[in-house]
Parts: sequence; structure tokens; C-alpha cells
Amino acid sequence: MDSAVSVKNLSFRYKHGREKVLKDLSLEVPSGSMLVIMGRSGAGKSTFCACLNGLIPHLIKGDLEGKINTLGLNPHDCKVADFARLMGIVFQDFESQLFSTTVELEVAFGLENLGIPRNEMKARIEEALKKAGLAELKGRAPSTLSGGQKQRLAIASALALSPNLLCLDEPTTDLDPQGKDEVFTIASGLWKNERKTILMVEHETEEALQAEYIALFQEGALKEFGRTREVFSNIDLLKETGVRPPEILHLFHLLGDYPLPFTKEDAIKRLDSFLLDKDLSSYLKDADQEKVRGYGNELIRIESLHYEYPTGVKALNDVTLSVRQGEFLAILGQNGSGKTTLVKHFNNLISPQHGTVLLKGEHIQEKGIGEICQTAGLVFQNPDHQIFCERVEEDVAFSLKLLGLPNHEISTRVDSALKAVDLESLKHEDPFSLTKGQRQRVAVASILALRPEILILDEPTTGLDYLELQRMMELIQHLNQQGHTIIMITHSMWVAAEYAHRVVLMKDGRIIADGKTREVFSNGEKIKEAGIKPPPSVALSTQIGFTALSVEEMARCLKRKSA
Amino acid sequence: MNVFLYQDKDTFFHRLDPRTKIFILLFSFFLTIFFKHPLFLTGVALFMLIHGYLSQCLVNVMKLKLPILLIALFSIITWGLSVKGTTPVWGRFTEESLSYGLAVALKLDSMIIAGIVFLSTTRNEEVSSGVIRLGIPYQVSFSLSLALRMIPTLIETATTVIEAQRSRGLDLQTKNIFTRMKRSIPLLAPIFLTTIRTTNQLAMALEARGFGLSKERTSYQEIGFTGRDYGVFGFLLLVALLVSFVLLRG
Repeated sequence: MDSAVSVKNLSFRYKHGREKVLKDLSLEVPSGSMLVIMGRSGAGKSTFCACLNGLIPHLIKGDLEGKINTLGLNPHDCKVADFARLMGIVFQDFESQLFSTTVELEVAFGLENLGIPRNEMKARIEEALKKAGLAELKGRAPSTLSGGQKQRLAIASALALSPNLLCLDEPTTDLDPQGKDEVFTIASGLWKNERKTILMVEHETEEALQAEYIALFQEGALKEFGRTREVFSNIDLLKETGVRPPEILHLFHLLGDYPLPFTKEDAIKRLDSFLLDKDLSSYLKDADQEKVRGYGNELIRIESLHYEYPTGVKALNDVTLSVRQGEFLAILGQNGSGKTTLVKHFNNLISPQHGTVLLKGEHIQEKGIGEICQTAGLVFQNPDHQIFCERVEEDVAFSLKLLGLPNHEISTRVDSALKAVDLESLKHEDPFSLTKGQRQRVAVASILALRPEILILDEPTTGLDYLELQRMMELIQHLNQQGHTIIMITHSMWVAAEYAHRVVLMKDGRIIADGKTREVFSNGEKIKEAGIKPPPSVALSTQIGFTALSVEEMARCLKRKSA
Repeated sequence: MNVFLYQDKDTFFHRLDPRTKIFILLFSFFLTIFFKHPLFLTGVALFMLIHGYLSQCLVNVMKLKLPILLIALFSIITWGLSVKGTTPVWGRFTEESLSYGLAVALKLDSMIIAGIVFLSTTRNEEVSSGVIRLGIPYQVSFSLSLALRMIPTLIETATTVIEAQRSRGLDLQTKNIFTRMKRSIPLLAPIFLTTIRTTNQLAMALEARGFGLSKERTSYQEIGFTGRDYGVFGFLLLVALLVSFVLLRG
């Protein structure tokens, strides 16, 4: 078996970094295979990718040790540009990879750099766009494309140079479910049909099931490497390395039924030997109902809300919604379905054009910004868009100072907010030295300090690894139990299923379903209409007659048939 | 959101060689510099507007009408108050000072409109390939077009940061300019850091796609002079002759 990439005893420490990010890592990537690298944030996955084509050490400086062989070249002795025709690399942030004014010219850029003659260029551009499914969009401006299309364009731009190796570093993290699907389909197609070597860093376990090999990184070293099926069957190891186990395998692991089935079809056959616990399933339904009884007064009321962007795009079309105190609401839908536009109305970032928005029974436009932010706090998706102070506590105190609260009140509130997000010990740290997950929690704390009754979170788990994600969701759940009303936008279906009590499905600016999480997820038609896929455990359990909302819940509801 | 000015239309001016378009832009600047009288400058401004109309990009001029009007108003007032004249009109305003202010206003606005029309009819990539053909190194012209490319990203980042800080209770709608400046600090740091991060990413993406690899870089866009371009040059020559004639006659 020959290798496309061969790395031996690789170590790397970033300039100014305290610790080594890669520690004596060795890995062979078989030629013509599809390998997905998984592991916690900070495990060295992206650093590894950047080493392969010399971005490290040529653009990103630091101490590099060990041997790297990428398709016969040693990146240390070559320029990054020398790798352009051998290895394509696609990054998570698709916005900053595209810079041309048409799709066609974007793909042409690399070919121009290689000095390819014009007539040959044309054919190669067309071929690359076809493979990425973008042939129809040749003349469009990249800025007008959807996220999934943009990421496919980044792939096409790399493909045009006909590299043998394509390295995708978290390509789907910022995409909606449809976009994630598109990118995985293209990537696995290139591996299966074109025999390209695909190297991918990814957090999405369910999508990674398509890969041939999985490598688990832990603290800068290779913890495990093997065929997808074998690696994913070791549930304990996955948990240890901070990777979310694939749901179907996890379910049978919990049921203690080995060897673990790999496909949905196998799983259904194997479920024949299990019975549904009718008592428990009806108990769960009752518990859902019980939650509704605990809700308090109506906090937000939206009536026939319309919103049109200056460009004439209708973002919201006759939306009516009511949210009561104590609810935990998830808003789901593709990008462009109007989710973010809707929640921006909840704290008057957008004033209603048509229709009414009532916050605690009063028109929101009549309230001051100080009053609104103490009632409805919106946490933005990217914490880096709001953090600006040199110390964590200062950043959390910022909005309290704006309100003009007395100093002792400020410090009490900052302490309790930091305690709630479990960051007390880091309050004197520089926020920019923290991990993404910690920065996300600083952002939540800075809103929490305002003590808003309603907490609105726009994709609070994007870019977090499984452990950070669980921690974030436990925090949100805890805040909800303490009486905060939670409204959350998410692209992660299992997060919505497992944590939310109520789900609102949006499509093209309209609400197409609104109800208890279990009811909405059992409505296959509406789910499909919204263009989303329920988590495997939810789909599987629905198929056998009871919609369970998580792997654990499903496992609890199943009993082995006595022989 | 598309914040680029470029209008994807197929007009006579869109089809010109980028070098011709650059020449038209420079020529327009010269015209505004040569004239001093508001009457002639009105003619120049009209000339720019006709150019805009023919290349179907007056939409962009309309989009930016507020700054255009403000600049006009500002120069008429400041020059109207500061230039000395002999024929009083009202207060410190004199006929001479008002005429001078109006002339400056027309000059500035004509230049702005000429710039808008240029950017509306010329793609980023065309600007750089035109500039290269004029003998400027590729790296320089590419940096130029990247700078243009970063503007919309910067605006988008700024919009998000403003919204995020408003959600934390930052009120930017205060009248006091000093309070406003003080309150913009929470905006600048995140915008600055996000932009640096984007730029770093962009640099990596460029390198990975072979930027700076080959000395003989090819170009996917073909540019070349056609009859259209020569027609434009002829026309501009005629205008230049006419202008010199008028100027010589006084």
C-alpha cells in the first residue's frame, strides 16, 4: 500500500506558543483513500493539515521537527505554491477563500498562476465546475452564492489544478444541513469516482461514516487509526477522544447488542429482537405535557410579521409566534429561511416593518435599548464579534457599566455570570488566549450579566467539539431550569431534539411547523419540507412506532424480547 | 449582500478595453481640473451623467446620492463663507465666493461620478489586467484589486459587530459626537481582529492556489483594443481640441 502522505515523528510548536501542538505524530495516508481526522479542538488536526503543503513553516512560523512526505515532496524544501498542482486545500471559512467577481474567474485564478495557456484553461475550468456541480453558475458573482455553493466553489478552484490530494479542513462547520450534505457528496464522489486521496478534518460523525479510514487525534498525537467501521465501533474510545459516537452504533452499544450494526437497514433487522416499553414511552409523552403546564406568562408575541430587505428579498412572510416564560425553543431551517431575521426582531435590532412585536405585552419600538437588553439578550454566533476587552471580567462588565450600575452591583453580577458559565477561575485572563468554547461562554456570560428573562442564542454550538458542545448545552439547559426562557437557532438536529422542548420549523420566511419537539420530529413530511434530516435515532425510533429524542432515550425504551 | 459597484450589463462602455476605461477616467479628471467656471463645470458634470446613463449605472450614482449631495452642500457653504468677494449676496456670502464654492462642488462630484461609472463598468479583474498591460507589476495590481475585494467584507463584519454590541446595550444613536467616538472603541477592536484573521486566511488560500509561482502568469481574460476603443479615443481627442479652443479663446 503506497502512501499519499507519510508523516513520521512530527512535532510543532507555534511561535509564541507555550506548548507543542503536535507531539511526535506519525501517520500514513493511503493513496486513493478517504480519511477523516477527528478529535477535540486543539488536538492538532488543522495544524497537521497546514504542515502538509508547507503553510507551516513558511507562512505560519514555529518549531517544526520530524519528517513529512507529501506526494514525494518535502514541504520544508519547497514553496507553498509548488504544492498547488499536487495538493488542494480548502478551509472552514469559505468567505475568505474567494476573492473574484465571477465563479469562472475564481477557478481561473490558480490556473493563471501556473501559467496554463488560455484555451486549455477553459476546458479545465468547465471540468472542475462540473465536478463541483456548479456548471450552471459560471457567470454568477461568488458573493451571491449560498454557503454550500461557496464551499463547492473553493473545492472547484482547488480541483482545476488537478491535484491528487485534496485536504479539507472543517469544510462543513459553517454550513447548514443541506450545505454539509453537498460538500460531503462532492468529496466522497471525488474519492470513489476519481480515485483522489481525500483528507478531511470533521466534527460531524454521521457524515464521516462515508469515509474509508478514521484517524483520532488526541493532544497532538495519533490515538487511533483504522477502518471507519472498526474505529467507530469502539464507543468508549470515541468518547475518550471527544468524538460524538455515531447514533446507531451508540444505540446498540447501550443495548449491549454486539457486533454493532453499521447501517440503518441492519439496525432495523436487529431491532426485531427488541420490544418497545409502552409504559415508558407514554410516560415520556406525559412528561412533555407536564413541561407545558409549567410555563408562565407570555413574554414575546409576534403577529403577522413581514420583513423585506432593501434588495426586495422577502425574509419574513406573515410570521405569528408566541413564546411563554420558561420555554426552551429551537428554531430550525436552512440558511436564508429567515431564522436570524426573526430573532433580531426579539431585541429590536430590526424594527418591525409590518406587523407587531410585543415584548412583555408592550410594543418593542417604544422601549429603550437598556430596557430591551435586560429583557431579551441575544448571543451572537461568533464570540469574536463582541469580545474586545483585555480581561474576561471587564468584557462581562461592559454592558453593566453602560447601564450605569453601582460598582458593587457590577462585581456581584459579573461573578455570578462567570460562575454560571463556569469560568470564574479565568476571570483575569485575556479572552483571546481562551479556546473557542471558552470564548463562546464568555459571550454568554456577558449577556447573562444583564439578567435577561429571555436568552436568545444564534447557533451557540457552531465550531465547538463534542465535549465543548455538551458543556455549552448543559449550561443552556441549566439556565432554562432556573427560569430563563431559551430561544435557540441551530443547524444541529440532534441538539434540538435532545434539549429543546419546542421546535419551530422555518422555510422561505414562513413558519411551517410549530409544536412540541417530539411531535414536530415525528412529522416526517414537514421535516422533509424544511429540507432537514432528523437525527438517525429519531428517524429509526419513529419508524418503529415511537419517536425518541436521543439515543439514550431510545435505548431506555427498548427491552430485549425474552426468548 | 452585494456591495460591489460593478453592474453586470452589456453596454458599449462595458465592452471597452479596461485600458480605455482607465483613460476615460483620467480624462474625466483632467476635464474637471481644467475648467473653473461653474457653467462649464455643469457641462462637465452633465457629461459624466450622460456617460453613466449610457452605461446603465446611474443606479449606483443614486445609491450614493446622499454623500454626493452632502459634499456639494459642504463645499458651497465652506468656500462660500471663506472666500473673499466684492458683491455681497447674504451675510458673508458673496457672488464670487458662492460661484467658487459651486465650482468646487461640481468638480468633486464630477470626479466621484466618474469614479462610480468606472467601477460600475469595470470588473475588479479587468482593472488589474488593464493596469498590468500599462506596465505595472502583477503583485501591485493584484493588491489593488484585493483591497477593493476587502471593502464589502469589512462592511459586513462592521454590521455584525455593531449588532452584537447593540445587543449588549451599546447605544450608538446619541447626538454627542465625543460620546459616539468613545463608544466606537468596542466596535473597532473586534472589527480589526476579525479582519486580520480573514486576511491571514486569504493569504493562505492564495499561496495554496499557486500565487506567485510562475513568472509567466497567463490571463483568462482577453483584453485588446477594437474599433470601439479607437472610436472613444477619437472622440476624446475631439473633446480635447474643443476644450483647448475654448480655453485659448478665454
